[in-house]
Amino acid sequence: MSGATNASDTAFRVAEHLKRAPAPWDVFAERITTHEIHFGPRGIELLRGPIVLEGYGVRILRSRDGKIGVGYQASTDASPGGVASALEAAESVSQYSAFPAKDVTLPTGNGTDAPRPDITDGAIWTDAPGALAKYTAALFSAFEGRPGIGLSFGSVKTRTTEVTMANSAGLSTGYGHTRVELELAVKSSGGPEGAPPGEYWVTAYDRRLDATPLPQLAADWSRYATDARHAKAPPGGEHAVVLPPTVLESILPASLGYKLSGRAELREMAPAIGSAVGAPRVTLEDDGTLPWAYGSSPLDDEGTPQRRRTLVREGVATELLYDALHGSALHHPSTGSGFRGGFMGVTSGGASFGSAPGPGCTTLTIPGGDGGADEELIEAAQDGVWIQQLGWASPDGLTTMFGGEIRIGYRIRHGKLAEPVRGGTLGGLVLGAPNTPSLLANVTGIGRRTVLTGHVNVPTLLVRPMTIGGDEAVTSAA
Amino acid sequence: MLNLRDHESELDRALGRVGQRTKFAEVLAQGSLGVIANVDSKSHRASALPRVAGAVLRAWAGDRWVEAAASGFDRASLNGAVASLEHELAASTAPGNPPGESSTTVGSQVQRPPRPMSEMSVEQVVELAKDYYRWTSAVPGIKNTQSSVGWWDDERLYLNTAGARCHHVAHRVRGGVAAIAFENGKSEYDYTSVGGLGGAELLDAFTEKHAQEVARSAIELLNAPAPPTGTMNVLLDNGTTGTFAHESFGHGTEADQFVRDRSYLKPLLGDQLGPESLTIWDDGSVPGGWGSVAFDDEGHPGEKTMLIDRGRFVGALHDRDSAAALGAKATGNTRRSDFLSRAYVRMTNICIEPGDWSMDELVRETGDGVVLEHWTSGMEDPLGGQMQLKVRRGHRIENGKITGPVTSMALSGSVLGFLKDIRGIGKLDQRMEIETGFCGKGHGDYLPTGDGGPFLLSRAVVGPA
Repeated sequence: MSGATNASDTAFRVAEHLKRAPAPWDVFAERITTHEIHFGPRGIELLRGPIVLEGYGVRILRSRDGKIGVGYQASTDASPGGVASALEAAESVSQYSAFPAKDVTLPTGNGTDAPRPDITDGAIWTDAPGALAKYTAALFSAFEGRPGIGLSFGSVKTRTTEVTMANSAGLSTGYGHTRVELELAVKSSGGPEGAPPGEYWVTAYDRRLDATPLPQLAADWSRYATDARHAKAPPGGEHAVVLPPTVLESILPASLGYKLSGRAELREMAPAIGSAVGAPRVTLEDDGTLPWAYGSSPLDDEGTPQRRRTLVREGVATELLYDALHGSALHHPSTGSGFRGGFMGVTSGGASFGSAPGPGCTTLTIPGGDGGADEELIEAAQDGVWIQQLGWASPDGLTTMFGGEIRIGYRIRHGKLAEPVRGGTLGGLVLGAPNTPSLLANVTGIGRRTVLTGHVNVPTLLVRPMTIGGDEAVTSAA
Repeated sequence: MLNLRDHESELDRALGRVGQRTKFAEVLAQGSLGVIANVDSKSHRASALPRVAGAVLRAWAGDRWVEAAASGFDRASLNGAVASLEHELAASTAPGNPPGESSTTVGSQVQRPPRPMSEMSVEQVVELAKDYYRWTSAVPGIKNTQSSVGWWDDERLYLNTAGARCHHVAHRVRGGVAAIAFENGKSEYDYTSVGGLGGAELLDAFTEKHAQEVARSAIELLNAPAPPTGTMNVLLDNGTTGTFAHESFGHGTEADQFVRDRSYLKPLLGDQLGPESLTIWDDGSVPGGWGSVAFDDEGHPGEKTMLIDRGRFVGALHDRDSAAALGAKATGNTRRSDFLSRAYVRMTNICIEPGDWSMDELVRETGDGVVLEHWTSGMEDPLGGQMQLKVRRGHRIENGKITGPVTSMALSGSVLGFLKDIRGIGKLDQRMEIETGFCGKGHGDYLPTGDGGPFLLSRAVVGPA
């Protein structure tokens, strides 16, 4: 799939050992090869790679007293003894687990009916060190000749991942994909004005190493770093706020991934289907098929084909995200949203096999609206604040509250961007109860052009009002 | 325990091969295992931690470090990593010694907690989590409770070509609850947890009373107003003070940022940054401290480093590279999340020493402002020196008295301004409690770090969060 030749067969080998175990069971395996370049102000500090992680997770689902005991064990030992030990451990913990579903339907087939989004960078797949070196040279070049600008810290990482999956229902499939992580501290310093240095901290997640936009991005990032040197905290209170896609990426997926899922529905914390959760102009989709999106894949981590899901249509909740297990409990088919993540911070290396699947989002998408270009949204705001970056939005999945320090933004005065702002906090609810203020309920303008970044594909939004904690006398809450 | 020493000869062989091509090489083998139990209103589950283990090899290539790693200790996996390093080292045109001093430490530290969690059955761990759940959800008005009890053993074996040989196993345990209240479409929660390096004895500190307090707090938050916003007097609770020490101040003392000219604190070494009552240290040797390390991942023993002594900024945290660049010594703070991650200068347990103010005196001195309680997160800004702390709840202080509760909020402002504005540091009636957190360097590489402190009064910007 995706044009990448997957040479790994880990899941199939493990599945051979599991065939004598009672059904249902599934196995998800990855072989991840990472290459990294780390650099500082004087150039390259560290070359890493290959960092090879090959492992799998075995899940067994045992019906017991009208519930399902889920057992899971991940391991890097795929020897017959290692698999037997993992299976034994999974059986053991399943005895002490109970999930409120009577049975579970696992996907079948070999994935041939799945979509095939472009998620593999051929250059990384065939020669990751070479591709990485070429990209890093282009990155350095993009910053050359910019007075007072330097890279004080950064890294570029590539991962090639070979995924294989099998289960007791007959699923046997796999695919390959690539991922890229960029972290960069762009520093502005020096000059006659004596202002302290400023920094713009970039983190970006992508599927490919595309150097084409680097010159423009370097110019933008350098400008933000320079503007941060002179910025002051914005005034506090209720303001019209303009949020570009990069800021929305830091807020939406982590805030909504739980709330709009079967996991929240099971615990009676999800919005009711048919209830108003946003302004009538807001439509929100989760699209696992977008080309080059970080969250796209042919199949979810259980083997169900990916698709696009409409979570909110014109402000009304329409669908939630389900994996096989939550779908079974809530009498809803899986939406292809069974994904795995980290586990207590114990393993890294970009692995998914360390934990059992649960419902999650892929790429949250808001279709472009009639708000026009960014300049038109700024003009519509008239007086307010453009937020370029929050320190960390610290989104809270249970409440959908978020809040973070404004690292760099701009005052909007008379419909134009004015002086830079830095400091103070922006925060609020992303999704509130019907008829209560929230980010989604207070959207008054939606930009024309969507931008794919990380786990979102969204346009710039004008939200009116949002609360800013700024540098001024105390304002009591209403 | 994974018994990494069983693989010592293979690791020695791999190190020996790389060592023939460079002036210095090292290998870190690492693995972990453990169990976690989660209980909520709809389900309960026990999960075994991934059995993931492997080794990372690092070598000096004359002008930079090169690394390769593999999961597993079999000869084929290690040979792949070795061959990659041999290739890199063969291409090196600048042979020479690496910066700084290479550790020659030989030692082993394998804890034996009074009541090892590894000797508890999975069923017992689940039952403990069910107790937490039951205690919390028994409070009327609680819609859901998420309780968890977990432990993991992290074993590391470090060898280098200078002769260092360090083996250690850290047993970490943590338990806690999040109580969730839900009414008319609005949800609020509060949480509490205990833990540290050790065994089941650490979980004894979690009682039914704690569970009920956190449940009542969640219910109270449902009808609590948002906090006031703006610049005001702020009284930080113990955990929030510790988080301030870590996120806002500590990251700026990681001297790899000094070498990169990426710390606002670098030019201030030796300056008075706060009142004489302010002392901040990092200590990787605190017995039972969540972030303690017997040896760091360059083979240096964990130790105490004074950062602020009576208000004066006196020290920073170093790995071998930053120590060499700045004429200092390595401080036992070089840490990797695991064998898949690179080494950085990291904190271990960072704490602010208690002062001599009583709680009544602190509240009275605050006059009007807020108390920030139950930290949830923070974010560093090592170059800019700004801070961001987020808490789950708090209280207003009006006319020198604590009044009603307020919902979650974020704190921001200048760290140096905050230090200068410190007006009171509270007493501690008991031993410093090291909180159990996870820290990233930038946006990744998470590892366990501890922090602690007393109540602390200063001034900052408060906003919604």
